[in-house]
Amino acid sequence: MTMRLAFLLLAALPAALSAQARPDFSGTWKHASSMPANYPGSNGWGIPSPTVVITQNAGGMTIESGQFGRQSMKVVFRLDGKDNVWEGPSASQSGSTAIVKWRTKASWDGSRLVIYTWNTALNQMRDTMSLSGNTLTIVRATEQPGPSTNATLTYTKTP
Amino acid sequence: MRRTFLVLPASVALLIGLLTIPASLQERRASPAKGGVGDITGPYEVPDPKWPAWAHPYPKPGHIWGSQGGVFAESPNRIYLANRGELKLPDTVPPNFPGNWGFFNQQAATQPIANMVNCIVVVDGEGRLIEAWNQWDHLFEWGRGPHQVYISPYDPERHVWVVDDMRHAIFKFTHDGKRLVQTIGILDEFGDNDDLTRLRRPTMIDWLPDGTFFVADGYGNTRVVKYDKDGKPLMKWGTRGTGPGQFNTPHGIAVGGSPPRVFVSDRGNRRIQVFDVNGTFLDEWPGIAPHSMMMSADEHVWAVDSISDRIVKFDLTGNVEFSFGQFGTRPGYTWAMHQISADQDGNLFIAEVFGGRTQKYRPRPGANPTHLVRGRSLMPMAGSTGN
Repeated sequence: MTMRLAFLLLAALPAALSAQARPDFSGTWKHASSMPANYPGSNGWGIPSPTVVITQNAGGMTIESGQFGRQSMKVVFRLDGKDNVWEGPSASQSGSTAIVKWRTKASWDGSRLVIYTWNTALNQMRDTMSLSGNTLTIVRATEQPGPSTNATLTYTKTP
Repeated sequence: MRRTFLVLPASVALLIGLLTIPASLQERRASPAKGGVGDITGPYEVPDPKWPAWAHPYPKPGHIWGSQGGVFAESPNRIYLANRGELKLPDTVPPNFPGNWGFFNQQAATQPIANMVNCIVVVDGEGRLIEAWNQWDHLFEWGRGPHQVYISPYDPERHVWVVDDMRHAIFKFTHDGKRLVQTIGILDEFGDNDDLTRLRRPTMIDWLPDGTFFVADGYGNTRVVKYDKDGKPLMKWGTRGTGPGQFNTPHGIAVGGSPPRVFVSDRGNRRIQVFDVNGTFLDEWPGIAPHSMMMSADEHVWAVDSISDRIVKFDLTGNVEFSFGQFGTRPGYTWAMHQISADQDGNLFIAEVFGGRTQKYRPRPGANPTHLVRGRSLMPMAGSTGN
């Protein structure tokens, strides 16, 4: 009985440690870094929003900001490894707006969260998020039919 | 080393043929021109605008093919076409509409957003549909359609490889298209320059005889990745920049020569760079920004210049031996040649991403054979006697 209990505890330990290592990005974050040199992308795609509001729970994370285009938008990422797919407006490279398919995916890489956002207007974004105290760092890579962009963005948590 | 500089504004592309061609070629131009102003179609006849015949009626009513990413002629009667989806035609189409999107003068043929249908099709020499691989259309829905299509000349099973830049992957299909046997990269996930597992907008692929292959990767990662015959990544070289061995949009790749060399179209830096098979920089050929390149059967690099819309034949030391072509949307002219391929009969196929069409160029009677693009022979297919 004691052996079985010890085995169960040992089996559960990595998962527990892993869960502990996963930060909670919830909060309201102010952009604190300068605009990357190779920005902006077309139609606002990937431009760091001045303010990002993140809500996170065990099942998912919601990011509300303007980084997905010119208008503020709520984008949901599931944290169970599955895709989240929906339809919504997006600007295309030509500037026109249409209802297109959107898709997001999130996966943990240790204490970092890697999130992808794609839509069928050919906008793509990969954010690698990490937390240190009150500083949120996002290493952002975007793709569109035009040039690729890479940037490191920092955000400060507001009280 | 004699080199020809082709970088000039597209608006003066007409002058390129006169100003940049070696003296020996200009002398030949003094004789009665076969290709007309600018030697538009070189040793080929003006293409039939109705080829492929089915391209006009095939899309659903009110739609038209959009950007044509690639073409590969496996044989004179088996030609793979890589189509980046179908576009809705304007409500009113003028009576002289020739049937290709480029007529409307809208760049890229990827706007508005295309319907990803009929992305990979196979036609015969007359343009009649043989196969439509609609079972794979879904692979392209989150991207902008197939970037280019190939068969390795050294593969007896003749797998069909399709590069998809916006999905960051390369698909390897069985010859009949029934099975997807391998995906290089991770679908939709784009990596950084030092990540050998993920690609970032790959563009083109070419092989060594032992099956080793090289991928131009591409828009995002500005590098070349070398794989073994099974698709295991071995190494990469190149970073973003302008120096030797650095790239800005490596968009084409061709492998050949003895010892074998890797020729990379460094499109954004307007040059071709030459490497050994382990990525050691050997040479650069400035003044040309190819969308695509191919190694011909007679061991020359044919490059399609994105600036002048000319097709340029290089020997393997960088000498320009011949060129032809001109920007335009009429038959025989081209707008952004994205892949070229030639069959064993000497027919040349050119896919245009902005023109939104694939044209078939038949050799003129009596054409100088050294001016024809010669596709590499494919290894006989296992269990088959033909090519």
